[in-house]
Amino acid sequence: MENLMDTNKKIREHISALGDGELSASDLELAFAALHSADGHHAWEVYHRIGDVLRAQASPDLSPGFAERLAARLAAEPAHGKREAPALAEQEPAPAQVAASRSASAP
Amino acid sequence: MHRDAAAANGTRSVTTERECDQLLVERVQAGDRQAFDLLVAKYQRRLMRLVSRLVHDPAEAEDVVQETFIKAYRALRHFRGESAFYTWLYRIGINTAKNFLVTQGRRAPTSTEADAERAEAFDDADSLRDINTPESVLASKQIAYTVNAAMEALPLELRTAIVLREIEGLSYEEISEVMACPIGTVRSRIFRAREVIADKLRPLLDLPVDKRR
Repeated sequence: MENLMDTNKKIREHISALGDGELSASDLELAFAALHSADGHHAWEVYHRIGDVLRAQASPDLSPGFAERLAARLAAEPAHGKREAPALAEQEPAPAQVAASRSASAP
Repeated sequence: MHRDAAAANGTRSVTTERECDQLLVERVQAGDRQAFDLLVAKYQRRLMRLVSRLVHDPAEAEDVVQETFIKAYRALRHFRGESAFYTWLYRIGINTAKNFLVTQGRRAPTSTEADAERAEAFDDADSLRDINTPESVLASKQIAYTVNAAMEALPLELRTAIVLREIEGLSYEEISEVMACPIGTVRSRIFRAREVIADKLRPLLDLPVDKRR
């Protein structure tokens, strides 16, 4: 029973990735077969409905004066144009780091 | 694709959006302040859309967005262009939002708190426009209400992943760069977020509840 639940969950995860256009070719056949089942079809419907609802809602607009307040804060910052030692904050991850971290799959 | 075709024809290639951003970044790095204003104008609302899903109070979300741009401006001199500017900016925004929530001692709101917030914030104008009957309008409201409440009860990592996917339209690879986690983790987080929301939503959609899970 537990194996069946794990399989159903795995299939729904495939369907989730398929809907995002992110499913690997090797898993496509299984996912499309699952879409013919009631569970798979329902998962597809619900996942897309969730996305539709989220996108249909407006996000709060910026308040009047936002741009001016930000411009004033930025004006107080020193201009760029001189080389300095790298700061600690907000470093870009090196592509190799991102690629290496992608090879693992963590919850 | 544009670039290849243009190169084949011997015509000038179109600058991609990423290249345009990188040109502006380089101008900022050379001392052109106005170039950063252009980046702000381009990304301020997108950033607000993302941050407002993480920090619910609009005034606080604006503060986080402002802080994000200030941090980005300060750190821009060290930006090497190895990632796209927007994924870097989004990462700063998410980290700034996280730090804000931590300093505020916030946790993901319970469903009860989210219910009250969303009941006030729900905007009728964004309901499905092709629904005519009172019953279907009510059903749409209930669905949106349920989705929002479920979203706000999600752990921050799951909520961030599904927002970046569904609202910002980022690919898994882009999300993995923004969230600094493997693509497999992105896929898992988005799936888990959907499963949690779907669980709450299924009764409203008249779909059978899956008891085998």
